[in-house]
Amino acid sequence: MKILGTLYPAGSSKAVTCSAVVFDSKLMLNHEGGKQESYDFASTVLGEPILGQSQEITFGAGSRFLPEDVKFRWPTKRKRLKLVEKLEQNLFAVLGAIILSPILIYGILFKAVPEFAVQTYDLVPNAVVQEMGEQSMFAIEKAVLEPTTLSAKEQQIVTKLWDDSLQKLSLPADQFKLSFYQSDFFGANAFALPHGQIVVTDDLVKSMQEHPLALQAVLLHEIGHVEKQHSIRMAAQAAAGAIAFAMIFGDLEGFAEVLLGTGSTILQQRFSQDMEKEADEYALQHMKQHGIDPKEFAKALEIIVEQAGIELENDKEGAWSKYLSTHPSIKSRIEYANAF
Amino acid sequence: MEEIKLSAQPEHKTHQVLFTGNTKDYFGIWTVNCLLSILTLGIYSAWATVRTKQYFYGHTSIDGHRFNYLATPMQILKGRIIAFAIFALYITLSTYSPAMAVAFFLIWAAAIPWLINQSLRFNLRMTSHRNVRFGFKGSYLDALTHFVLLPIVGALSLYIAMPWVMKKIDTYIHNNIEYGNKALKVELSAGRYYGAVLRCLIVVIGFGVISAIIAGVMGSFGDPGSLGVAMVFISLGFNFLAISLLAGIYQSKIRNHIFANAQLEDVATFESKLDTVEYSLLLATNALAIIFSLGLAFPWTKIRKAKMLAAATTITLSENAEQVIEVYRESQSSLAEEAANVFDVDISLT
Repeated sequence: MKILGTLYPAGSSKAVTCSAVVFDSKLMLNHEGGKQESYDFASTVLGEPILGQSQEITFGAGSRFLPEDVKFRWPTKRKRLKLVEKLEQNLFAVLGAIILSPILIYGILFKAVPEFAVQTYDLVPNAVVQEMGEQSMFAIEKAVLEPTTLSAKEQQIVTKLWDDSLQKLSLPADQFKLSFYQSDFFGANAFALPHGQIVVTDDLVKSMQEHPLALQAVLLHEIGHVEKQHSIRMAAQAAAGAIAFAMIFGDLEGFAEVLLGTGSTILQQRFSQDMEKEADEYALQHMKQHGIDPKEFAKALEIIVEQAGIELENDKEGAWSKYLSTHPSIKSRIEYANAF
Repeated sequence: MEEIKLSAQPEHKTHQVLFTGNTKDYFGIWTVNCLLSILTLGIYSAWATVRTKQYFYGHTSIDGHRFNYLATPMQILKGRIIAFAIFALYITLSTYSPAMAVAFFLIWAAAIPWLINQSLRFNLRMTSHRNVRFGFKGSYLDALTHFVLLPIVGALSLYIAMPWVMKKIDTYIHNNIEYGNKALKVELSAGRYYGAVLRCLIVVIGFGVISAIIAGVMGSFGDPGSLGVAMVFISLGFNFLAISLLAGIYQSKIRNHIFANAQLEDVATFESKLDTVEYSLLLATNALAIIFSLGLAFPWTKIRKAKMLAAATTITLSENAEQVIEVYRESQSSLAEEAANVFDVDISLT
């Protein structure tokens, strides 16, 4: 069998028309000009076989021979080279890949990664949690918090509610800390840090002066975040997700772009929605247990929404904003608390 | 010998760049690449990279000679594993200790010029035509100047100097490219960069005016609730069109300019006649197709783009094209290229 093609000698851009003949373990090259060369087939390196391209062969010294026929493949015992090319042309394999790939990605990102994160967050040492919380607090304080403008008396009322809450939950007071700050960025709000620090804003305290039990409900919700280790779970989840993405999609052009945009954000949002529900549940359970009307929790949410200037009426917009908002539709949370 | 030389000038021949890939074949490669990469938790992606690159390189040819991608999967896998370890360390540090993340970031920032150079070098060294490799000879200091210091100058000038900075960056990249023992030379004009950016600005202003009018008209009737959602979608689609148009204008103008003013000493000159409107439309429809097909149209968009770029390009070769000598260099590691990839430092040659 004569194989027509082009020889590219090592070391320059020359190209020579040649024909090759394979005999047993030898490959003979006949140059157009009459010159002959012989190579040991075992010492050659085969190029990647790619659809629509002939397969190149490289000789020890670096010269390359490229057959003319784009369907040409050199005889080889390496199964990988043959198998992959066959799969790529097989209708069923391609269809299977289209169906299986998204399913597997869903499984990895929404099942395996969260599972892995849940398994590992317990392993994070306390010192790291402490450090993580303090550093985050430092950054938040610098960026969006100002000293409180609440009077000592106003603070005292909240501190009393706080002490009462910790006592009701029989939690050690030295592992938690309540702080007051003025913040235009957060408005009327509260948040919890992983090391047990809970921040309430001046606006929140002022807006709930008439409803101390609603404020206590907010404190319980935030303590719930700390007790359920939500920050650490979130961090472990985000880290594991990012690592899984980098590992699998290091260079899968396109696929990663499509998913990175939507997948990872939806993933995080979903995680934090579950967490909000968990913290709500924690607060509601303990309120009921200690004879506080769960409706106070609903009241607290209503006040926060009102302060943020969001009209409940607007919350009926389609599924899109519902799925993409960090907090599960506030309306449904209020309804849930009222029915608790 | 009957051939008579009419002049002492070497003979020149103009060749159309050909792209022979098709969507059907690449679709198969892409889907199998995706599936196997997921099944092997990313290990196969090194093989996937080689197959994808070789598909596009091998289907691109000049004067009947195709390009080749020379990196081996193992080379890429090794680089990727190290880059991945660094990335995992970075993610872990940055989630649990912001202070450590800052320290890491500073080291990373210092390494960026080196990474950019290494990444360009690796990609070019792994590209060959007629069995002669490309190369890149940029230095750390030059990369630091062009990719870090000049952009800061550009920002400080309130972006007025930015087009000039872009010109400097493109000049740096292209003037350091080699093909065998021949160097690429470009002479770029800042005026062309200002021209391209000016056109983009006009489009931005035009889009701003149109969307303001639409918002005004829509705002004057209809109920605000459902209008909000409609507006979000309309403005998203609008932004999207604007971005495709901007990318299309800038990239086509600059590509044409660079090609017209580049030459490979004694060997080749280039010409690119990429049509701005056609190219912008291609980018816009490509992006739409990817979104509405949930990603499945990706292979089609890539092939379409490669076809248009090839069709717009011609290369004039002198008879010296057969005389280029390969220059042997130390073996290349793909670490920097992979690190650049995983940390999303994207350097693309126009």
